[in-house]
Amino acid sequence: MMKRRMRFDIWTFVLIAAWVILIALLIWPLSSVLHASLIDNETGAFSLTHYVQIATIKAYQRAIGNTLLAGFGGMAGALILGVTLAFVTTRFHIYGRALIQTLAVVALVSPPFIGAYAWIVLFGASGVVRKGLATIGISIPPLYGAAGVILVFAFKFFPHVFLITSGALAAINRSVEEAAESLGVSPTKRLFTITFPLILPAISASALLTFVLSIADFGTPRIIGRDFNVLATEAFNLYGSEVGGNPGMASALSIVLIILSMIVVFGQRWVLRKNVYHSNLIKKPERKRAHGLKALGLHVLAYAIVLIGALPAIIVVLFSFRRTSGPVFQPGLSLQSYERVISTVSDPIWNTLIFSSIAVVAIVITGTLIGYLISRRPGIATGALDALLMVPYVVPGIVMGIAFITRFNEPPLALTGTGLIIIMAVFVRRLPYSARSVAAALKQVGPNLEDAAVSLGYSPGKAFLKVTVPLIVPGIMAGALMSFVTAMNELSSSLVLYVGSTITMPVRIYLSVMDGEYGTASALSTILLTMTVAAVYAAFHLSGRKESALL
Amino acid sequence: MADLKIQGLAKSYKDVRVLESIDLDIASGEFFTLLGPSGCGKTTLLRTIAGFQHQDRGEIVVNGERIDHKPAHKRDIGMVFQDYAIFPHLTVAENVAFGLKARALPKSEIEARVAESLKMVRLDGYQNRLPAEMSGGQQQRIGLARAMAIRPTLLLMDEPLSNLDAKLRIELREDIRDIQRRLGITTIYVTHDQEEALAVSDRICVMNKGNVEQIGTPFEIYRKPLRKFAASFVGTMNFLPGRIEGGRLIVGTQSAASPANESGPVEVAIRPENVQLSLGHADSEAIALKGEVLKVTFLGREAHYTLKTEVGEVVAQVADPEHDFIEMEGRPVEVRLPLSKIVLFRSNGDVIGAGQA
Repeated sequence: MMKRRMRFDIWTFVLIAAWVILIALLIWPLSSVLHASLIDNETGAFSLTHYVQIATIKAYQRAIGNTLLAGFGGMAGALILGVTLAFVTTRFHIYGRALIQTLAVVALVSPPFIGAYAWIVLFGASGVVRKGLATIGISIPPLYGAAGVILVFAFKFFPHVFLITSGALAAINRSVEEAAESLGVSPTKRLFTITFPLILPAISASALLTFVLSIADFGTPRIIGRDFNVLATEAFNLYGSEVGGNPGMASALSIVLIILSMIVVFGQRWVLRKNVYHSNLIKKPERKRAHGLKALGLHVLAYAIVLIGALPAIIVVLFSFRRTSGPVFQPGLSLQSYERVISTVSDPIWNTLIFSSIAVVAIVITGTLIGYLISRRPGIATGALDALLMVPYVVPGIVMGIAFITRFNEPPLALTGTGLIIIMAVFVRRLPYSARSVAAALKQVGPNLEDAAVSLGYSPGKAFLKVTVPLIVPGIMAGALMSFVTAMNELSSSLVLYVGSTITMPVRIYLSVMDGEYGTASALSTILLTMTVAAVYAAFHLSGRKESALL
Repeated sequence: MADLKIQGLAKSYKDVRVLESIDLDIASGEFFTLLGPSGCGKTTLLRTIAGFQHQDRGEIVVNGERIDHKPAHKRDIGMVFQDYAIFPHLTVAENVAFGLKARALPKSEIEARVAESLKMVRLDGYQNRLPAEMSGGQQQRIGLARAMAIRPTLLLMDEPLSNLDAKLRIELREDIRDIQRRLGITTIYVTHDQEEALAVSDRICVMNKGNVEQIGTPFEIYRKPLRKFAASFVGTMNFLPGRIEGGRLIVGTQSAASPANESGPVEVAIRPENVQLSLGHADSEAIALKGEVLKVTFLGREAHYTLKTEVGEVVAQVADPEHDFIEMEGRPVEVRLPLSKIVLFRSNGDVIGAGQA
């Protein structure tokens, strides 16, 4: 008789380490927010008063309704744009695919706040485009309120959908679609009965992502929404106000926001409850060559989506070269905005680069290991870890920032004001994206490959490094890329956590917009944009697979 | 060269017992096949030997040394997979060299072994190809070369041919057998294809529901089944209800002197090729049933007759059929079951006596 041994390998250690990290950087800080929402601001005693107020005061109820509207609206818009673009570019021969991908990335990274500002410049009450159209007799409503917010979300977040689903679309076994075709299913019907169900994991993951991004975003509703108040803006105002601030109420609203996101997360898991498709012998889909009007239509469609998405970024770049006088743009070109940035505010550039690089290295290593655990070592501890990883998805940056500043304020962990706290916040916020993209890539790699390596004499850890890692490098690169881009553009948590010496570019841009220094903001945004695009191309180049790094 | 002993190996998944106390004794250099329907536990047994799964109880001993406490990568066991598991990002040569690099062999030795292994599976010249450019049969040859290159103590094969088409399957199984003989490597082969098992094995272990039903040479398994399961799973077998009474074997209204001295209900089993049709052959002791030809299936070198008798349908196989035999559908015929070829099973599935199938 032999007793069953506990098998302790490298993955057991990874599992324990992952738990320690998430407890320290996630559960413990966030518990402070829950705690604050449950105590009375004055007396410090346990109280449900904040939640009672949310249930009774109309403004809060409207904020919840608006949040849901913005979330589902932004999600639907981003899905339509993103899936359409992914389908057109993976299934048809489109000229300038690299350009389309670049523009999509540009749209993805179009800096926060100033992006929303650019939309107003174009479509606001006195927007350039709106006025232009008015002179030729076309009148469109100004881009304010719910419709404007949803439209901006759709064009801001569709690149996420595009990147995630085009990878899945390119990995569908062509025979499956051919089989459907041979069974007499029309191409359109096949799309909805075969293709979309097969990429349901990707579609639902990106739907979830865009929903959560939409409801956590407070810049867009703040600038474009006008009186369209959402939970994020309410919570931000209550946290941020020097006077009339109400941390308890803000915490309670944050908790409600988190709960809304959680519901959607579980909804997505329910949709995916039995969707695990393994495919070993992949026959890759072909790109068809469309002709005549159809080809023209497809090109117009693809380019329209990415060009409109990239428009705010383009506007920002153009404006950064305009002559300014204080907050007012003057006719004529000038480099004076850049001169001012370089002479006065070059610190944010270095901070952003250093913080993002450190965070991304940590994210990629940890995310790859955790992604592997999730997809290959199912178990109670891993399942719970996977569930816990959903938390950063649903916690708005502002909430995370407040949670960190509350918990890491006193010795022995007095990290407030350091760069480390900003890095940690970015790390824990973006870790799930990396873990998820690795887990998704792993689903495409048959587990037998690793068994084969083990039978040939490699330890499980080495087998992973030698066989699995090279195969999921496109997935890892895509994850790293997304993480780096989002880390450089992280605003909301940094806004809470920065001090003078650790200010980052997005924070600087935000402050410039608020101070009316549009020239500086435009120049800084352009520099940020350039750095981001450079990072994207470096990633393409390093991975050696130009397409698969992004797709 | 290595022998393998397995003692009392058992494994359950939750409440389901996948392996019930398996005992095996495999000689050095033997080609040993685990044969059984899907879900019989053969793949679990193989993966447990490889170390990818762990038994609840029992021992695995190679060359007198217990290996069941070793992790998979230290067992020095070559494995060939059903889905090939060829590393798609490595060239053919890199795939074969993969296991050699783990052993930190000198470069020249690696090159020599890769060349030798590829030659063995008739893939020399393909060194720099990527697996995606190669057919399924070629990919499995890479898999075989890769497993052989490390000169493992044991070679395990998990249904290596089941993803290939029929012709390739026969070709590759001959190659596998030849290579295995030449190198004398102890091999455990899993398949659900009984013809494949008969063709390649030194010995076959028929498994069912986590149990060993019978272990024997292909001849023993086919001709001398010990259990009804083995008789029915390997090859085709007619089963007819009968009983033994007063030293007579009674089938329907017919009877003959019983080959076994028991009494009670029995199942009468006979292979289609041993069923005789018609006319002559009065010399041997046999049960003669009246029948009618329901259907004739002509297969070239043989024909299958489906016959209706008073105790049920019987399939008979006739080698090298004559022209007029083909046109017999609907005709009456005498169906003779020679006693020397009959196997009798008790109702619990055990064989009675030692007849010959």
